[in-house]
Amino acid sequence: MDWLESGNMAVKTLTSNKLRTGLTMLGMIIGNASVIAMIGIGQGAQRLASEQFESLGPNVLFVTPGSPGARQRTTFLPRNLVWDDAKAIAAQVPSVASVAPQRQSQLSVTYGGKNRTTLIMGTTPEYLIVRDFDVAKGRFINNVDLERNTRVAILGSEVAEQFFQGQDPIGSKIRIRNISFEVVGVLQAKGSFLGNNQDDAVYIPLTTSATSLTGRTSPFGLDLTFISISAVNEANIPAAEFQITNLLRRRHKIISEDDFTVQTQKDILRIVGTITGGLTALLAAIAAVSLLVGGIGIMNIMLVSVSERTQEIGLRKAIGASEQDILMQFMIEAVMLSAAGGVLGTGVGIGGILLVAAFSPLQAVVSPVAITLAVTVSGTIGLVFGVFPARQAARLDPIVALRSA
Amino acid sequence: MSTIVQLQSITKVYGIGDIIVNALAGVDLTVNAGEYCSIMGASGSGKSTMMNIIGCLDRPTAGRYYLDGIEVDTLPDNELARIRNQKLGFVFQQFHLLSQLTAWENVMLPMIYAGVPVQERRDRAREALVRVGLEQRLQNKPTQLSGGQQQRVAIARAIVNRPVVLLADEPTGALDSTTTEEILDIFGELNASGMTVVMVTHEADVARRTRRVIWFKDGQVLESNLSPKDVALVSAG
Ligand SMILES: Nc1ncnc2c1ncn2[C@@H]1O[C@H](COP(=O)(O)OP(=O)(O)OP(=O)(O)O)[C@@H](O)[C@H]1O
Ligand SMILES: [Mg+2]
Repeated sequence: MDWLESGNMAVKTLTSNKLRTGLTMLGMIIGNASVIAMIGIGQGAQRLASEQFESLGPNVLFVTPGSPGARQRTTFLPRNLVWDDAKAIAAQVPSVASVAPQRQSQLSVTYGGKNRTTLIMGTTPEYLIVRDFDVAKGRFINNVDLERNTRVAILGSEVAEQFFQGQDPIGSKIRIRNISFEVVGVLQAKGSFLGNNQDDAVYIPLTTSATSLTGRTSPFGLDLTFISISAVNEANIPAAEFQITNLLRRRHKIISEDDFTVQTQKDILRIVGTITGGLTALLAAIAAVSLLVGGIGIMNIMLVSVSERTQEIGLRKAIGASEQDILMQFMIEAVMLSAAGGVLGTGVGIGGILLVAAFSPLQAVVSPVAITLAVTVSGTIGLVFGVFPARQAARLDPIVALRSA
Repeated sequence: MSTIVQLQSITKVYGIGDIIVNALAGVDLTVNAGEYCSIMGASGSGKSTMMNIIGCLDRPTAGRYYLDGIEVDTLPDNELARIRNQKLGFVFQQFHLLSQLTAWENVMLPMIYAGVPVQERRDRAREALVRVGLEQRLQNKPTQLSGGQQQRVAIARAIVNRPVVLLADEPTGALDSTTTEEILDIFGELNASGMTVVMVTHEADVARRTRRVIWFKDGQVLESNLSPKDVALVSAG
């Protein structure tokens, strides 16, 4: 008996009990759909994250206080990264283009009876260049502001919208921690970054933030939350990282563990990649379990089918079917069930990805690798889980099988 | 006249735990081409056991069995499957049709395992169904057929690969008397056209339609060539 005949026979059997065939396939459909959707969504998240990092600004490096080890151990970071460090980097590191010291905290802002807790960022004019922001209206912080500790504020587009609803905010007074600031500019919208709305922020001069708002300075000088730095170009990033590290080690008189961390965009991308990659793998693993459950479902139904069709098997053997014929018949049934489930599940999975993509910022990533994998795996699952029931069937003694009622 | 079935000292022993049943205790039997025989005997005398061995569904514990000149008791399982497919036709009391297939498809089944091309398969299956008088029922499923019609489909299936012998274990056991007559007419016609037929039956009326009666008792052949007229005598004594 050839493959075509066996295939025909299997189709006939499977279509003669449509409900059962459908329910059995459902396991494989769900398994495949979830594997494909999960991998697709995971990869979409990965792609979104890396694109957002690339939008962070060209060739950016970050210096944060605390050693990489300490940053994992504690939330109390040393206040030893200071403005002078930033100035030294700008003056002494040749591969660096611009340096933006940043000092940030969440504070309450009020205007016209409205109250809102938002990110208050003390920084310098370089911030615009390093982080690739544009001014929509008015101006940004300038050197005069820094020298004179002026109480001026530049609003992120979200804050401007919340407080002023389309009215021109320039010249208005807002209160940050009950201290009055004059709005001198509004930034262009930039969108969210890893779920953080970058436009929900108020920018003030670095010096003003230290003197008027937080008041604290460390024994080493005006302390910073972090420093954003842009390298001259991409090729210079490793050199910049190396030179900044050396300079800060000298300035901080480091003899053993560093008390700061220099990270490049690539480092951060790699960390994000590891996290989202791990997430993808986890999702895929969970989905793979449902594939396995689907396979067990097929085995279960095939076993039921063998015992229900004992007489049929006996009859087929009596009229000349060999053990191989019976084995092949049941194997093909199992593989057809799982492969058809695989193909349908793939369709559902792709549909799911497109649906998620339509209603969320995640991009649709229909991975051909995932699809090939899922269909191959489900076919193999049919093969593996079909073997046992098929052998049970093939080994039946025809007389015993015929006599069973 | 060529010999189709030749059994030599066939025994079949069933062992269930400590109890040993000698279902066949040394059977010698010869059936020639073109014969029409019935096998009779008390319940449990070993008729079905022997039919299963002749039909290559079961193997004897000891003894030799030649079918159409081939010693089949030593053949491996897949060779036996081929023999069943090519040389034997089996009709059962319970019909054993596949319910998901039409009458036509049921009759085509043995030819699928024989590797007959599709068109020839369809033609030969239709011919066989015409021979049993079911040309109007090709597309019916078994549930849409009467018992007698189902048994006729089963007969068509048994003869479609042109076997050397047609074996039937109580083929009319599940049918009423009129239907029984119809089935026996078909067997008679098949035999008249040259088919060797061996049939197990409990009914003297059925045995009378055959030309030779083999009488079984306690796993042995008591009478191997009884005239159908004498059946009443033996069953009485
Ligand atoms: N698989 C088996 N295991 C054990 N004993 C068996 C088996 N099959 C048959 N026997 C025994 O072998 C003997 C012969 O059985 P067989 O079925 O051949 O009788 P039979 O002549 O066909 O009877 P009936 O007319 O009732 O069909 C019986 O005693 C039966 O119990
Ligand atoms: Mg019997």
